Amino acid sequence: MRGLVLAVLMISAATAAVASQAVKVQLPCESRDQMLSPTGAQAVVLCKDKSIHLVNLPDGSERLLFPAERDVSALSFSQDGKWLAAGFHDGTVEVLPSQGTAATRRWKADARRIDNLYFFADGKMLFVSAMNHPGTIWELSDTPTQRATLPDNFGGVASVAVSPDGKLLVAAGGDTVVRWYDTSTWQMSREYDGFLLDTFALTFTPDGKNLLAGGADSRITIFDVASGKQVRQLPPQMGSSVGGIDFLSDKSRVMTDYFDNAGEKPPHRLVWNLTTDKSTPVQIDFRPTCGSVVDGKLWLCNTDGRTLTITQHD
Amino acid sequence: MSFTRRELLERCAAFGALTISTSIPLSSLAYAWDEAEKKIPTPTCELGPFYKRQAPTTSQLRAPGDSGMPLALSGTIYDVRGEVVPDAKLEIWQTDNDGHYDIEGYRYRAVLEPGAKAAYAIETVMPGHYPQRVCQHVHYLVTAPGHKPLITQMYFATDPVFDGNPDKNYTRDPLLTSRELVRPVMIKGDATQVVAVVNFDLVMETL
Repeated sequence: MRGLVLAVLMISAATAAVASQAVKVQLPCESRDQMLSPTGAQAVVLCKDKSIHLVNLPDGSERLLFPAERDVSALSFSQDGKWLAAGFHDGTVEVLPSQGTAATRRWKADARRIDNLYFFADGKMLFVSAMNHPGTIWELSDTPTQRATLPDNFGGVASVAVSPDGKLLVAAGGDTVVRWYDTSTWQMSREYDGFLLDTFALTFTPDGKNLLAGGADSRITIFDVASGKQVRQLPPQMGSSVGGIDFLSDKSRVMTDYFDNAGEKPPHRLVWNLTTDKSTPVQIDFRPTCGSVVDGKLWLCNTDGRTLTITQHD
Repeated sequence: MSFTRRELLERCAAFGALTISTSIPLSSLAYAWDEAEKKIPTPTCELGPFYKRQAPTTSQLRAPGDSGMPLALSGTIYDVRGEVVPDAKLEIWQTDNDGHYDIEGYRYRAVLEPGAKAAYAIETVMPGHYPQRVCQHVHYLVTAPGHKPLITQMYFATDPVFDGNPDKNYTRDPLLTSRELVRPVMIKGDATQVVAVVNFDLVMETL
């Protein structure tokens, strides 16, 4: 077990508008890239030596998930944080418990590198897509079984989301087309080809009435789920792509991650108020190494390479 | 109308234009011929985040005054039997010489329909390096009826990243999936203009 460096403390943030509470733990390796679990109970640490560790928060205990030679290409937590799915360059997928001793399931899901993994809310199904290949749906029984293939024209799947009631899956293809599937039949029910560029983030509103899509066109597009029609678009952040969209606790505001298309500026975050369509920048004085919305609040990671500090932002 | 090598062989035999003097069955001879002409499918790469639909049909990507070394890029599209794919459609996109993709417009993006000979050629510039990728590269998406879409990227043997030894150093770019994708660069021209010339043939798999 790694030593606990510091428990919980209060720190002052870069601006008076943000108060943050921090957890600080020692990293098991040199790392500039981490991923938080949806509950905030754990962090996956991607090490410089390409090994991957799981660190429990806030006590800092850790275990090796995958040695460097396993060549992990994709990772995803289940929505309750209890399971972790890992995809590999050889097309293998593993689903393992984030805690406890439940059996790991491992199977060959594709012939190519796994690029996308997405757990359904109940944790019983997993969406898998490999490089340039169509998405597939797997039932996570003791022996995972493929339930459906979701065809596209080319380019595989860039992002995916399932509606809160679990009845609808929406997948944005590398071919820039957004496709809607009925999860009871896996038939495509709708297709939207109005985007010319890729969609990297899809999120349903908590009431399931709207779908938010964002990508290389630098803006969030809002769809009415019932009709499939575009409702409106939020103003663009020129020169940036939308990389992630998450709802905050009041359900009318979304945290939006943007990355610079030229790769020259650090990523930035805006909070969009969907009632007013106005945005507020998230003011921080560091370059986050991971970020996630946990219990409706933004958690951000900051690291010097050896220690990990996680701050909660209101 | 065009024929595969196997069809041509069989038609020649049917019309007496081909005399088989050995005991080798025609089917075996055709198979041996096919095997000799077989091509390995072009290795695939990821599509990348900045593909854009509805690019213009043009072979002239370089505009007067554009910065960067002019690049003449050409090749032919084959299937795995070594036959040209006459109804292929290519989409090509790359950064400008400063390493920037045109997201708002269509600079350095093109659609090509090579036609019966399946040969393509474009005039462009050497793409730049950009911070999140190690190597200069050109993206390709090739589609044709009856064939699997081919998504790949072409790299330059002259890229400084390879330190003059792409055989040894091509893995420095983690997204470069095969040495086959690193192409030699010939420098041609005179005192007034120098052009980098690269040939990149593509081999598609049938469905």
